Amino acid sequence: MTRGRDGGRRLEGSAGTLERWAAILGGTALGFAGARRGSWALAALGGGLFLAGAAGVPLSSPLRQAALPAMRREPTTTQANVTIAVPAEKLFRHWRNVRHLAALFPHLDAVEILSDTESRWKAHGPGGVPVVWNSRLDKVRENELITWHTLEGADLPHRGTVLFRPAPGGRGTEVSLTLAYHPPGGVGGNAVSRLFGTAPEQQAREALRRLKRIMEVGELPTIDGQPSGRAERGGSRSRMQEVTG
Amino acid sequence: MRALCWNGVNDLRVERVPDPTILGPQDAIIKVSLSSVCGSDLHLIGGYVPTMRAGDIIGHEFLGEVVEKGPEVTRLNRGDRVITVSIIGCGKCWHCQHEEFSLCDNSNPQPAFEEAAYGHCTAGIFGYSHAFGGYAGSHAEYIRVPFADTNCFRVPEGVTDEQAVFVSDAVPTGYMAADMGNIKPGDVVAVWGCGGVGQMAMKSAFLMGAERVIGIDRFPDRLRAAQMKAGAETLDYSRVDIYDALLAMTGGRGPDVCIDAVGMEADSGASAIEDLYDRGKQALRLENDRPAVLRQMIQCCRKGGTLSIVGVYGGLIDKFPMGAAMNKALTFRMGQQHGQRYVKRLFEHIEKDDLDPSYLLTHKWALDDAPQGYRMFKEKADDCMRVVFAP
Repeated sequence: MTRGRDGGRRLEGSAGTLERWAAILGGTALGFAGARRGSWALAALGGGLFLAGAAGVPLSSPLRQAALPAMRREPTTTQANVTIAVPAEKLFRHWRNVRHLAALFPHLDAVEILSDTESRWKAHGPGGVPVVWNSRLDKVRENELITWHTLEGADLPHRGTVLFRPAPGGRGTEVSLTLAYHPPGGVGGNAVSRLFGTAPEQQAREALRRLKRIMEVGELPTIDGQPSGRAERGGSRSRMQEVTG
Repeated sequence: MRALCWNGVNDLRVERVPDPTILGPQDAIIKVSLSSVCGSDLHLIGGYVPTMRAGDIIGHEFLGEVVEKGPEVTRLNRGDRVITVSIIGCGKCWHCQHEEFSLCDNSNPQPAFEEAAYGHCTAGIFGYSHAFGGYAGSHAEYIRVPFADTNCFRVPEGVTDEQAVFVSDAVPTGYMAADMGNIKPGDVVAVWGCGGVGQMAMKSAFLMGAERVIGIDRFPDRLRAAQMKAGAETLDYSRVDIYDALLAMTGGRGPDVCIDAVGMEADSGASAIEDLYDRGKQALRLENDRPAVLRQMIQCCRKGGTLSIVGVYGGLIDKFPMGAAMNKALTFRMGQQHGQRYVKRLFEHIEKDDLDPSYLLTHKWALDDAPQGYRMFKEKADDCMRVVFAP
């Protein structure tokens, strides 16, 4: 599954150079810190940052947006991609039934079909803040493409596109989800922005991952509710024996 | 139920935890009858894998009885005696359809760790840290198995519990190591590491037509087992120079296939300068994975030969002799085991007596003694090859 922002645009100019060096140096420091702590994930992240810096992959915009969500008021585009081992027709049919989409976005509470092209969406923000919008289909190309946009007065105005195209060699279908939206301002806007605005890539990626898992295996693998020695699971935690090696 | 929980570096305790329940329609609950230690558990216990959480139940090589199943499990019945492959496949994604079960797209419920560190996420593994899904492990009275139809296999009548338990992990891992070597009749195969997986790689190499197999280790009991049980010639790297010895044994060619059954915590046994370098870096904690075996394999392998890597690596390594690897036109193959691909074949080999993994079981203990069992396994005391716990 890949994710992208700004269409994978490379950095240009002196700001880009500065950013690249920052990434290279920061990545090196992180890599060493990770290695020193015996944390290979951190070390690998550091290595990745180093490589991203060396290759000139844009990093500062997502970082800036993560750090300063309130300052971001420009339209944002985010894209996620996944290959699903299922024919395009099946995926198209599934997505076209908007009721199915509630299972892909955990914050969605209800999707109401108003007509052939219009639907009403209800979601909840942090602290149960209700978020509501109406959405209208723009273009629907059988087994290929669905695009939509939200109507006037939406709490979360956005445009969306989902694209289905056959993957080579019988690998199934390549699915791209693109979302473009203006993070909302005004009363309640910050809460909504926090919910939808700061981690859009992750939301798009997670939605496609859920779609893949539902379509391929018919369930979402989970470890919620499995036993452990942690008290939070409600299990009685009586120590039977303690030996340290 | 009782379960062995990891609570911190080298802090294992047997605790009372809730029983597992069916969480998905394709789950089964297995009553564990035997559950083995594995070398890769030592990386977790020692704190080399950062996504462990206090309270995690470890263990991934086990045999038991199906006691409960979800509504969509069709190939298993209550009462079946089964082994479960340690690495979980969903059975439906492109990788599983192509028998690359350890690369499963769907079985890891916590893919973010691996996507950040590796670029993609791979399969979930029982009791093997949250990067690999955070699934509860098998050192317990019961364990939940997701996608049970894909991951559980009925044990044939003629195969004993002590033989079958290792078909979860050690046997298919060793078998896959040999399989990836693409061994041809007449080949000489060298195997670094004479633990459970190394021993199984040696036996498998012979099954696939190897002319000679050379096992490399430093523990006398392991070298003896490699010789007596697996039919290998052996080299003690603490006593001989491995490069000189291997070239002497192969007319200067080097082994056709080199298998790494050691992984990230390799003992160097290398030249003085290299050894100094590794130890210095290790002392400064500048590198997590120690690539001593990899470097040695690249140096020793014959031109155009194959390196097959099943020893576990976690993160980044440096000073990797890429020039030697490229100019000698070596082939690298590696991966976590795709056990589901091999289980049927392995049971047939065991039934025909081509292969008997039960000798790996040197100690059988109660689950309550698991912390001492791991300590013994780690210290390789009492000629311990594998400790198996019986809850």
